[in-house]
Amino acid sequence: MGQLSLKNVVKTFGDFEVVKGVSLDVHEGEFVVFVGPSGCGKSTLLRMVAGLEHTTSGDIVIDGKRVNDLAPVKRGIAMVFQSYALYPHMSVYENIAFPLRVEGAPAKEIRKKVEEAAAILHLENRLDQRPGNLSGGQRQRVAIGRAIVRQPEIFLFDEPLSNLDAALRADMRIELTRLHKQLGATMVYVTHDQVEAMTMADRIVVLNGGYIAQVGAPLTLYHKPENTFVAGFIGNPRMNFMPVNVLSVSDDGITVDFQGQSLTIDVDVPADRRAALVGSQVSLGVRPEHISLGAGDATMALTPTVVEHLGQLTIGYATLPGHEENFCFVLTGTQMIEDDRAVNVSFGAGDCHVFDADGQAFERKIDMSAMTPPVSL
Amino acid sequence: MARKFFKSSETSIMINRYSWRELIGIYCGIAVFLFFMLAPFIEGFLVSLKPLAQLFSSPYSFWPENGSFEAYRTMWISVPSFGRYIFNSLLISVVSTIIVLILVVPAAYAFARFRFKGMALVLGAFLAVSMFSGAVLLIPLFRLMRTLGLLNTYYAMIVPGAAFLIPSAIWLLRTYMMRIPPELNEAAYMDGASQFYTFRRVILPIARPGIIVVAIMTFIGAYAQQFIFALTFNSKTEYMPLPVGLFAYFGKQEVIWNELMAASFVGIAPAMVIIFFLQRYLVGGLTAGAIKE
Ligand SMILES: Nc1ncnc2c1ncn2[C@@H]1O[C@H](COP(=O)(O)OP(=O)(O)OP(=O)(O)O)[C@@H](O)[C@H]1O
Ligand SMILES: [Mg+2]
Repeated sequence: MGQLSLKNVVKTFGDFEVVKGVSLDVHEGEFVVFVGPSGCGKSTLLRMVAGLEHTTSGDIVIDGKRVNDLAPVKRGIAMVFQSYALYPHMSVYENIAFPLRVEGAPAKEIRKKVEEAAAILHLENRLDQRPGNLSGGQRQRVAIGRAIVRQPEIFLFDEPLSNLDAALRADMRIELTRLHKQLGATMVYVTHDQVEAMTMADRIVVLNGGYIAQVGAPLTLYHKPENTFVAGFIGNPRMNFMPVNVLSVSDDGITVDFQGQSLTIDVDVPADRRAALVGSQVSLGVRPEHISLGAGDATMALTPTVVEHLGQLTIGYATLPGHEENFCFVLTGTQMIEDDRAVNVSFGAGDCHVFDADGQAFERKIDMSAMTPPVSL
Repeated sequence: MARKFFKSSETSIMINRYSWRELIGIYCGIAVFLFFMLAPFIEGFLVSLKPLAQLFSSPYSFWPENGSFEAYRTMWISVPSFGRYIFNSLLISVVSTIIVLILVVPAAYAFARFRFKGMALVLGAFLAVSMFSGAVLLIPLFRLMRTLGLLNTYYAMIVPGAAFLIPSAIWLLRTYMMRIPPELNEAAYMDGASQFYTFRRVILPIARPGIIVVAIMTFIGAYAQQFIFALTFNSKTEYMPLPVGLFAYFGKQEVIWNELMAASFVGIAPAMVIIFFLQRYLVGGLTAGAIKE
């Protein structure tokens, strides 16, 4: 239990369409993360699933049942708010017990369940305190405790960690992943933080302006973004995009002319599109971390305007002629390069992405299983 | 609410530190202000201690010679039903306050949380109404009371008193309730609580300091304005409240000033006790920890 489907869900506020037709299936026990730029409708979508906002059109289906008009409790859903939303006049115990008190559960059962939840969240010693006396991380745990006592099938989190400092956020991230494993419940999680998205998610849903830009496993999104939006959004710093002309298209991929060097990128191009593509302009995408010093498949001479030395990494920014955005490259280790001093950098054809004029990607023919050690979740 | 302005300890923050000049200035200001506020009370109290003859001696002596609390005893003899007046005053004020609270708390919540058509209009009307004092409307109110047959009853003093206190109480409490984060309502809704359950278990306890402020304001307001309604709508001596009762000390030939002053202080005492009792529940920072601001 805990299977959630969105079917062409639309939400408008007055004339303003915020969510413009989202369809999505979330499997039982899955950890799905919504990411997207600010204002793209993530919270709105989550609040519709929660039952805090009406759905303008479309269906929300939980375990095969349309729940559009059901109250949140009847949906078997619990939500953790970004601002915690704890009841300030109640002790931690009463805060966690609140949903059970509403149900009118017997006192013995309440005690048992609250203590269970407190044990999971390491709050046993805090039960008598008021939320006002707790730290941010503890408050967030109380908020999660209030969500888990009712044993819902689906948990919704709206940026639950964004109010915490970096160290605490890392701890809570691990704790939430552990909680997900322990409870086995479906979780839908909204975040701004790429690291949270990449590390916690089974699947990431990238939203852009009320539409789903792509749904996929974190590494799929990283290695096979379907469009320039996802390519630019996932990965930090952003992917570099450069306009190039297509020389030829074959089974081996697209051959482009990059600053006088011909570069063959191994992507899948449907046979019927090949002819039209030759001679046209496409977008070549390469991630900053795939650029290295010295010569390679494609070499370019750059004069970085700013160089950032982080010790572990060296990050450079350069302006390309006729290009507004900075060209960014990330080198591992401490590299002795300076700003305003020309360097030669290069990248491999195997690391490149190609996008057509509409920003849609040609699928890269890479074998994900053969890549760098698999990340186990 | 219990913020200290003059913390001399080292922990006080920079903005609360004053030079000795500023401190002297501040205390002088407070002293002048307090003097203006308290001078009538001090004089009144001193008068209540003096024998009547001394009040008209000349030259007038500010400090009582051989002062005593005799007036506090004789006042009960001169006006035997004075206890009744105190009781009436308290009854009228307490009942008005209870009526106002019962009506205002849910109304303020509705005005704070829900959006509905005509809300701005109603709120504006409340504001306009609270600008009139009851005195302006005495004649229409008198006719209304007569039609309803409420003249010469306790209702005649309670009902208009409560009615005129409701608008400002709604405004006051609404402002307080708007500061309660709406996320708490959403969280309670997610937890399965009904509107009424949320109101009772979440909103009311958090709004308690605001409700107590409103209770105190209403109580004082009811206490202060009751004599207008009492004089106009009531002619029965046994229903008269304290302010009217004090007129009993205005005798045929002379005013028993010392007993009048003593009676004033005795009459205020129960109200002071109630207000003191209420304000103990005024604890600030009840929403601390609810949400991350
Ligand atoms: N109650 C509302 N009335 C009108 N417009 C709203 C309302 N709630 C949200 N919006 C609008 O809907 C859009 C999406 O809001 P939403 O809160 O879902 O964004 P978000 O993706 O969660 O952004 P963020 O990452 O900043 O939290 C915003 O442009 C916002 O102004
Ligand atoms: Mg949001």
